[in-house]
Amino acid sequence: MLEIEEIACSYGKIEALRKVSLQANAKEVTCLLGPNGAGKTTLMMTLAGILKPTQGDIKFEGQSLIGLSPSEIVQRGLALVPENRLVFPALTVRENLMAGAYLRKDRAGVANDIEQQLNRFPRLLERIDQPAGTLSGGEQQMLALGRALMSRPRLLLMDEPSVGLAPKVVAEIFGIIRKLHQEGTSIFLVEQNVHMAMKVAQHFYLLQQGHITFSGTPEQLAHDDLVHRAYLAGKSASH
Amino acid sequence: MMFEFLQRTLEGLLEAGPYALIGLGLTIGFGVLRRVNLAFGAAALLAAYLGSWLHFRWGLPAFAVWLAVIGSTVLVGLYAEWVCYNSFDKSTMGVRRLISVFGILDAKEASVIAASFALWMQLEQIAVNFQPSHLHPFPDLSSNSYFFWGSFSLRPDRLSAFIFSLGLISAVALWLHKSRAGLGLRAFSDSHAAAQMCGMNTSHLRYIGTTLSYTICGIASCVVLSMDGQVTPMFGMWVLLKGMTCALLGGLGSLRGVLGGAMLLGITESHAQSLWGPIGRDAATWALLLLALVNQARQNSYPINSAGVQYE
Repeated sequence: MLEIEEIACSYGKIEALRKVSLQANAKEVTCLLGPNGAGKTTLMMTLAGILKPTQGDIKFEGQSLIGLSPSEIVQRGLALVPENRLVFPALTVRENLMAGAYLRKDRAGVANDIEQQLNRFPRLLERIDQPAGTLSGGEQQMLALGRALMSRPRLLLMDEPSVGLAPKVVAEIFGIIRKLHQEGTSIFLVEQNVHMAMKVAQHFYLLQQGHITFSGTPEQLAHDDLVHRAYLAGKSASH
Repeated sequence: MMFEFLQRTLEGLLEAGPYALIGLGLTIGFGVLRRVNLAFGAAALLAAYLGSWLHFRWGLPAFAVWLAVIGSTVLVGLYAEWVCYNSFDKSTMGVRRLISVFGILDAKEASVIAASFALWMQLEQIAVNFQPSHLHPFPDLSSNSYFFWGSFSLRPDRLSAFIFSLGLISAVALWLHKSRAGLGLRAFSDSHAAAQMCGMNTSHLRYIGTTLSYTICGIASCVVLSMDGQVTPMFGMWVLLKGMTCALLGGLGSLRGVLGGAMLLGITESHAQSLWGPIGRDAATWALLLLALVNQARQNSYPINSAGVQYE
């Protein structure tokens, strides 16, 4: 579904991504792991068209996304749930959801989808006319996810949905990701919480210093010495 | 004494209508689009001079002069957008680095402020070269008659301008809250990056916002000049001063705020004029602007600190 071929991206002279290649299959949850500064968010911004790669190609359903604007990329069927949510703080919850459907012309469909998101996230229904900036971190994450789903994406890009959230809220968010996957949504997930990611993802990549250093299934990930030492063992010990 | 106070307050309130219109145009530029554009008033001046010339050189009727003023204000505004922002992003990295050395402002924002100041000078120079004399007549729609509301006397032209301004502000507010493009503009104002992620064409929205901002500026200019019946070279500065004061007093980007700011400005000026004459009136305006600037700085809410600039 999504094929990233030798993508490179730089901030001035600093190379953030160096010939990164990976792919995400339809109706699967693909997870990209990596430490801070590895280039995960840069990759997500590049996929969303906000950053321009210096080389390589990104193909979605066989068509290149290179050179397309963020608006055109959303039209092609990709939607990003950004790191730290980035909701519109002065707009109400309803207006945030409507903003997610900005490119859609079917008013009835949009109204139905707002209802659907409010059923999916009942806490948003309680705060429907409240400015998004007054929501808790978990509620903002749900809103950012609901807003992305409003564009009816064929591939949902999620950048560290667990960051800065309480464990209980993280479990809730991952419950929603699992449910979305069961409903047939394809998801490309960037995460640092390996334990939670292993419960939902079917394929993993590890990005370190701009390079892909691991690709495999959850079972292979669990038995990889490097990954185990860096993520699983350390994380277990810390809980 | 009390009657005099209320009469002055009422007169100040009626002055607030055109002030609010100017403030609205400016707050859309400063607060919604996050553009610090000092050439705003100069665009109004150049368009007003053109309107004056068309009326008295070619005999255009008042409504055609209004259309010409509004249209040319928008064109000059789009030119300002292109010069200060679009072309600037691509071609002036060296200047921006030089300015960032001072470390006072973000290089990009400091550069666009400097560019808009240069454009202000350029536009004023064009206007003055085009029409060198000091006073220029403008189609006069003012009325010297008064009518009475109880014991209070009111000028019908001021009342009409006030009602027209309130109607236009309400229409803009409705458009911003009910239309798709209005939602896009408000979302864009909140977060450029998030707006892009929702698939909004931010360049397109920027041009819609610029056109709206300068259309309102052009209408406000026509309202003010039609009541004065003349244009002077100080008109550009006057527009910028009044607009900035209203917009900053009300909190940038707030429609209700700009109306409140305009009322405060109008009423304060009216009382200052009655107590200390024209100099007192000007001093009161500058004092309010200073107050608004200090208040805005304390809230740390200038457009130069806007989020999302890094993704542009």
